[in-house]
Amino acid sequence: MNNAQIEIQIIASLVSIACAIPGTFLVLRKMAMISDAISHSILPGIVIGFFLTQDLNSPILILFAAFTGIITVVLVEYIQKTGLVKEDTAIGLVFPALFSIGVILIAKNANDVHLDVDAVLLGELAFAPFDRLLILGTDVGPKALWIIGVILFITITLLIAFFKELKVSTFDAGLAASLGFSPAIIHYGLMSVASVTTVGAFDAVGAILVVALMIAPAATAYLLTTDLKKMLALAIGFGVLSAISGYWFAHWLDASIAGSITTMLGLIFLFVYLFAPSKGVIAVLYREKQQRAEVSLLTFLLHLKNHTELEERHVNHLREHINWQRVRAKAVLELALKNNMIVVDKNIVSLTKKGDTFTSKAIDYIITNRDAQIEDMKDDFFLFRG
Amino acid sequence: MDKNIAVKVDDLTVAYNYKPVLWDIDLEIPEGVLMAIVGPNGAGKSTLIKAILGILKPIAGSVSIYGKPYKKQLQLVAYVPQKGSVDWDFPTTALDVVMMGTYGSLGWIKRPRQKDKKAALEALEKVGMLAFKGRQISQLSGGQQQRIFLARALVQNASIYFMDEPFQGVDATTEITIINILKELRKAGKTVIVVHHDLQTVPEYFDWVTFLNVKKIATGPVKDIFNDDNLTKTYGINYKVSIQE
Ligand SMILES: Nc1ncnc2c1ncn2[C@@H]1O[C@H](COP(=O)(O)OP(=O)(O)O)[C@@H](O)[C@H]1O
Ligand SMILES: [Mg+2]
Repeated sequence: MNNAQIEIQIIASLVSIACAIPGTFLVLRKMAMISDAISHSILPGIVIGFFLTQDLNSPILILFAAFTGIITVVLVEYIQKTGLVKEDTAIGLVFPALFSIGVILIAKNANDVHLDVDAVLLGELAFAPFDRLLILGTDVGPKALWIIGVILFITITLLIAFFKELKVSTFDAGLAASLGFSPAIIHYGLMSVASVTTVGAFDAVGAILVVALMIAPAATAYLLTTDLKKMLALAIGFGVLSAISGYWFAHWLDASIAGSITTMLGLIFLFVYLFAPSKGVIAVLYREKQQRAEVSLLTFLLHLKNHTELEERHVNHLREHINWQRVRAKAVLELALKNNMIVVDKNIVSLTKKGDTFTSKAIDYIITNRDAQIEDMKDDFFLFRG
Repeated sequence: MDKNIAVKVDDLTVAYNYKPVLWDIDLEIPEGVLMAIVGPNGAGKSTLIKAILGILKPIAGSVSIYGKPYKKQLQLVAYVPQKGSVDWDFPTTALDVVMMGTYGSLGWIKRPRQKDKKAALEALEKVGMLAFKGRQISQLSGGQQQRIFLARALVQNASIYFMDEPFQGVDATTEITIINILKELRKAGKTVIVVHHDLQTVPEYFDWVTFLNVKKIATGPVKDIFNDDNLTKTYGINYKVSIQE
């Protein structure tokens, strides 16, 4: 690996960490769309900032563009508050308008601005190492590294300082307000961080990747954990993993780095979406199948409980009576046997004591919805879980 | 200033998108009562609580808690929002939610410490949920979620408790647990204000009641004003409850 390669990977990793942190809270606040809006509508801010400073990496430009991001959020909320349209519609109204103002500004001044829409949307990580920051004539590293490094430092400081405030206002804005933590201040603080991060990162990685890096790692982490701190850590991990594997994928294919990182983000999400232990598609399908089997089991046990006559409890009769296909009847029979709820003697099925208690408890629970008694059953049976 | 008035609401009008949902509410809640707020769906019960707690900004009127604006009395008040107002899939545990009750006394930036955790564990024990402290909150039943919310309010160790439908979706056992805790709070001299739906149980559970439907219909001791006349005025239909003694 040469220096430039290492620098690109460090920049990409720092960007992904800086995005994953606000991204986690955006995902939990169901505000994924807003990051898309910010990333597009900062364009006019960038263009105006560029006219004023003539420097794409100027901090003034970053503040200018971040301010446009906040304006986006305010406009979206204002339109939403009129009660005429829903949030996603409001977002859809605001960002194309601002984005097109940016495009028009670029087009009108294309002659004296070396700034094109493609570069803004896609960025070019590969060039980042060539734009160096010189302090008193000494090369201290790529500019992009310093910009994103400073933003990341601020983001982490704010996260550590205001973690509890972010958590409570995200989970329960009403409680936060009643405790004296203004949800509005926290909301706009988060939006400011998201805007500044977007602007700081767009030059290196482009607006599309910024959105992907904010949302995908957090959405992936959400599927895997029930703890906010772990969700943040996982989101950061997935972001960095995508950044580095995406870089090498691009290297190998000689393709766009931003495009490859986005692909990696998608693949990792897909993998977790399918295989996550409790929220993944396969786990959910398995649970549904299990639940269906358990409903059948309960129906079957109830039948046994209600019928003392031997002919009602003959294996063959059960198959006809409950009217299941053979396979399912067999599966249910086996499930009941495995849990020691029935005994089969000369093809006559009877409830065991355990099966009898289980059935009474389950029915009682279903009728009254009284929860306390069935805690012990939850561990073994999906049917009684949330 | 009357020392015995816990909450005083004057000429309060609250609107969403300029459509008033609470009109000119005057209300005095005496210290030490266990009060039900009753009224049909959409009557503005939740809105009233939110306006008192400064969560919503009223378009007119004022609120005071023991004679001072709410902002100055944050520590005196605990709030249990309607259960449906939060996302129970949020990645957090029962204990963590209860810990949130300590955040108010900590203020900005400071983190909860060992004694806050201890207080949260005690509150969990009190509502019979200690065994579930590590459980992710979506894995709890409706009744257990309500108990977690109650524990969180208990941790705040407040003087005035506002609870929005704490009996919503709970089983009979939990309802008894909750009402017993509320009665204990009253015995300890606290003021407890509860949005309540089951009119049958009002006389049994509460000693004070406010009828609300956009306007305040009546407020006072249950034994004096909980009658068919006020119920009819509030619910708009000819209402008869058989009050069981
Ligand atoms: N965020 C909101 N935006 C607009 N209207 C609302 C909002 N919240 C409540 N409302 C309306 O205000 C009225 C009172 O609501 P609420 O206080 O929740 O009633 P209650 O708690 O008595 O059922 C209802 O008509 C409801 O539709
Ligand atoms: Mg309500």
